[in-house]
Amino acid sequence: MITLTHYLVVAAILFALGLYGALMRTNAIRILMSIELMLNAVNLNLVAFSRYITPDTARGQIFTIFVLTVAASEAAVGLAIILQLARRWTEIDVRKFNRLKW
Amino acid sequence: MTFEATAFYILAVILIWAALKVVTSGNVTHAVFALGLAFVAVAGLFLLAGADFLAAAQVLIYVGAVTTMIVFAIMLSNIGEMDGDDARSTAWRRLGEGLLSPRLGPAPVITAAAFAVFLYTVYSQASWTLAGRAERLAPTTASIGEELFTTFVVPFEIASVVLLVALVGAIVLTQKEERS
Repeated sequence: MITLTHYLVVAAILFALGLYGALMRTNAIRILMSIELMLNAVNLNLVAFSRYITPDTARGQIFTIFVLTVAASEAAVGLAIILQLARRWTEIDVRKFNRLKW
Repeated sequence: MTFEATAFYILAVILIWAALKVVTSGNVTHAVFALGLAFVAVAGLFLLAGADFLAAAQVLIYVGAVTTMIVFAIMLSNIGEMDGDDARSTAWRRLGEGLLSPRLGPAPVITAAAFAVFLYTVYSQASWTLAGRAERLAPTTASIGEELFTTFVVPFEIASVVLLVALVGAIVLTQKEERS
């Protein structure tokens, strides 16, 4: 019997892994992927709450759709920025990007 | 074990293994494919939780669009080759010696662990009124659509504006600069 706690534990592990990756990697693409992992953990939580606490409405799932939208926009803009960085400085190591202006 | 429990544990193991690969793997391209696998596992968990529409959306948007976009970005530039600190040692050695971040020292692992402990504390304190074993809502597509165009119509419109702005911004950002 799978309970709400099972989903919460899996989502918490996923979020902690994503947080660890986003903080520890220096490759900008890897940081973007870690952020996507964290957003997925949030989605998993929302769906699990929707399933176990308000199973007769779809509200939690609608919030998930909004998170999905923002995640897609974030991936598009983030990748555009990373491509432009790679084109200009042939480097996507975030340690090198500590200035706003050259 | 019931079918639900078996499927849940298999999907959870796949998901966490794939997420670990995303964070620790030495090769960016491998990490992207692990990310796709993690997205598929999340879609499976959505299905198990009775969110059929979201499972389809997850596969379409995350696996079909986001992962593909990252793969294209890696192929169109030489990002994959300039991985910096990544291609040094195997995943497990990295995880051991790499707990110390090149940027922040031991801060990342401490932060992640502290966050996990924080979540555990919150979850153990919180009290929820679980709905009894209500039958699942699936298929959910009709009710999601209905709520999205009645109760949540303003956020829905704002979300579409956000998407539009993001896509226009991405196009503008990736344009080649004109010589002036």
